[in-house]
Amino acid sequence: MAYKVTGIRFNQYLKELEKEYLIFAPVALLGKGAFTNTDSVRYQKITKLEEVELTIKANFSAKEILLPITETLFYFNEDNWTEPKVHDKKILLFLRSCDIHGIKRLDDIYLRNGCEDPYYKVFRKKVRFCLIECYESFANCFCASMGTNITDEYDMFIRPEGDYVYVGINNKEMGRLDEKVVDLSPRFVMQNKTKVSIPKELSKGLAQSVFWEEYSSRCIGCGRCSFVCPTCSCFSMQDIFYKENKNMGERRRVWSSCMVDGFTDMAGGHSFRKKQGDRMRFRVMHKFHDYKKRFGYHMCVGCGRCDDACPEYISIAHCANRLKSIVEEK
Amino acid sequence: MDINTKILKKNAFRITKERYKTAIRIRVPGGEMAAKYLDTVKYVAETFGNGTIHITTRQGFEIPGIDIEKMAEVNAIIQSLIDGLEVNQTDSNAGYSAAGTRNVAACIGSRVCQFANFDTSAFAQRIEKVIFPNDYHVKIALTGCPNDCIKARMNDFGIIGMNEPQYDSYRCIGCQACVKACEKKSAGALKFENFKVVRHSDKCIGCGECVLKCPTGAWTRSSNKLYQLVIMGRTGRKNPRIAQPFIKWIDEASVLEIIKNTYAYVHNYIDKDAPGGKEHVGYIVDRTGYQVFKNWVLKDVILNPKAQVAEYIYW
Amino acid sequence: MSNTYLPFKSRIIKIIPHTAIDYTFLMEYKGDVKPGQFFEVSIPKFGEAPISVSEIGEGYVGLTIRRVGLVTNTIHELQEGGVLFLRGPYGNGFNIDLFKSKEVIVAAGGTGLAPVKGVVDYFADNVHEVTVFSLIAGFKSPKDILYKADFEKWQRTINVIVTVDGSDDETYTGNTGLITNYIQDISIENQSMANVIVVGPPVMIRFTVAEFLKRGIREENIWVSYERKMCCGVGKCGHCKIDDTYICLEGPVFNYVKAKSFID
Repeated sequence: MAYKVTGIRFNQYLKELEKEYLIFAPVALLGKGAFTNTDSVRYQKITKLEEVELTIKANFSAKEILLPITETLFYFNEDNWTEPKVHDKKILLFLRSCDIHGIKRLDDIYLRNGCEDPYYKVFRKKVRFCLIECYESFANCFCASMGTNITDEYDMFIRPEGDYVYVGINNKEMGRLDEKVVDLSPRFVMQNKTKVSIPKELSKGLAQSVFWEEYSSRCIGCGRCSFVCPTCSCFSMQDIFYKENKNMGERRRVWSSCMVDGFTDMAGGHSFRKKQGDRMRFRVMHKFHDYKKRFGYHMCVGCGRCDDACPEYISIAHCANRLKSIVEEK
Repeated sequence: MDINTKILKKNAFRITKERYKTAIRIRVPGGEMAAKYLDTVKYVAETFGNGTIHITTRQGFEIPGIDIEKMAEVNAIIQSLIDGLEVNQTDSNAGYSAAGTRNVAACIGSRVCQFANFDTSAFAQRIEKVIFPNDYHVKIALTGCPNDCIKARMNDFGIIGMNEPQYDSYRCIGCQACVKACEKKSAGALKFENFKVVRHSDKCIGCGECVLKCPTGAWTRSSNKLYQLVIMGRTGRKNPRIAQPFIKWIDEASVLEIIKNTYAYVHNYIDKDAPGGKEHVGYIVDRTGYQVFKNWVLKDVILNPKAQVAEYIYW
Repeated sequence: MSNTYLPFKSRIIKIIPHTAIDYTFLMEYKGDVKPGQFFEVSIPKFGEAPISVSEIGEGYVGLTIRRVGLVTNTIHELQEGGVLFLRGPYGNGFNIDLFKSKEVIVAAGGTGLAPVKGVVDYFADNVHEVTVFSLIAGFKSPKDILYKADFEKWQRTINVIVTVDGSDDETYTGNTGLITNYIQDISIENQSMANVIVVGPPVMIRFTVAEFLKRGIREENIWVSYERKMCCGVGKCGHCKIDDTYICLEGPVFNYVKAKSFID
């Protein structure tokens, strides 16, 4: 079921929602791509539909709304620790099925792996999903292989068509529209050009295989694959003091990546997985094996952003398929 | 045969070793053109020339072995090419109207290269529009980044793309990829303090390496495209030298004005007794001194606020 | 809502220097804690560091801290009566009960002794609760030897071997050579029943465990403790993960049957 409303009416509706929600959606930032005259599609606050980039895949996933890249945990002064104030609005997030599944993975790590993370939980409770439909698969997508192409975990969905927008509402909280109701459910991509099959049992023997050596020479350890990934969830802690007043400071956490130097460095000099091939193994095993052992399904949601972003053209999809063929040969 | 060699040369032809034969230089502003114009080049070479083409250092084509008396025919045939490449012309079907101001050369630029900070060919073509046809001897080259693949520093005017990087500390995860790259490959303008990056703008050469290396998009490009203008580099017999920085962080409009003003400066100061009436701009600057040159070319130019003009230049 | 990242203030009761760079800080602490668990110890504005519990007493815990970076250097500047911030304890720690009534051998390399020291302390004080208790501790050189006073005390009730890798100190009259050399000669009363705890740097663990296996100790009777970069301590940050195991949640103490398959 969906309301058929004009674009103008839809923007009015967003304006009404804005009283209660901060609305985030993928926005094309002109000229903000790494290369000259290229754009970057990232999550930004929006006020009207025209600002939303619906035609291409966002370069960065929606995760940064729940898991800020730099997040202050505490402010300190001489003797006190204060937690940062969080805005009291809820969050409406425009995102695709794969990213909704991605947030489910973040939930597992932040709410179910050991104790609950209080900072994540605050954001998570606020977030409502507005599903962006995918009409066809983008480059490198393999959501169908990962079973993340379909979702019913959305609070609303939209389908802009000409001057109209179909608005499906799945959660009363999102309010009502007065317009005509039509019978409509969201469309999902049912197959992708890229297909990935994950071997059922990635044996530890394989984990030690020379297979990974190739990546030592190819991977440059930049971490782009992690930072664009909707499910990479690691962070590092940082304490700083303010230059202006050395008595005050803050404790933060910032995103980090197992692909980047320093991830395992311990004070005193020990570190592990020094070769990029070992880091690739660690990351791939996490996405396609380790995580599943804990939570019952693969961590990777097949959004293909790591493959989109790798400056060295390393494909995780290709890697997984190669692993499969090695396992089957054995 | 009676031929006015001065006119021939100004028409972009050459007096060659072989008597009664000439060679034409085809201008390709910015070193970029539709592939179809190669057909014209090929046709001229095979029909009028000796069937060979020389690719010049300034990104043009020189077609040798043409009978001097066929010049007019060749000029008529290359008209489509002149039109297609939008090269300014005084008289249609009469070939190139000047030769002193050399083809404006450009590296491949941001249409292809990841490093380039601007579309070098497009800017080259806009410069060509402003300065051609002009017979004063001025060499201009544009390069997308301080790698200077086109060797802009060997030109009278070298235009080097700069990008003033914009930093969003919130997006910075402190991987220091930019700091390391800047230290190893560029100016060493970035320092890591308090888990975030501090850029020393006096050291920064705007190469864009930080933007390229940043995995989270914390560093991005400025929408304001700026350049470093280096001047009076040259090869040649007399005192060859590399160009020196004239104005850093200058915008396109100011570059165009300065180049235009340079022609007025040359007109005023050129040695009237120079051999063949030709004197390269660099030697004129040597004679008048940098301050006189600077005053002339900056006349009525309203520089963008970020532009930093060198007080003195010592080549 | 309680914030797991919010530390509590703890006063430094006593500072015991062992070497130029290793001090034990006895910190006020009331609560359950096991040897082998760790606290995230911090000084605001400088940072946090995971430090294992090296001593457990009434109303206090001991944290042996080596100066190896900004945080630990700053901690070393503090005086008795000063304050540190702690959160934890985290990790599983050693289960003392598991070793009761058994023959126990502890092999520790360098600061690796810290996480297992609580176990040694306990059985040195309650030696009747084990059949035999032996400690082999190795250090780089005589000046790196930790817990000298404790060793003197332990020697009265349990078997203790201290060795150093090498020595240029002429006044040092003790053992030299790697720990592994001493395992060959140590007396083990019942190989199939003896329990072994191995803690230390990764390479030391690997070779020491190999020696014990050669002596006929069963894999399931060997325990190891892993040091990793534990940033959050609560299974979120990902830094300490090996394979599918979060060291901060399921470790740092592991039975060797599990630990042997870890691939770093």
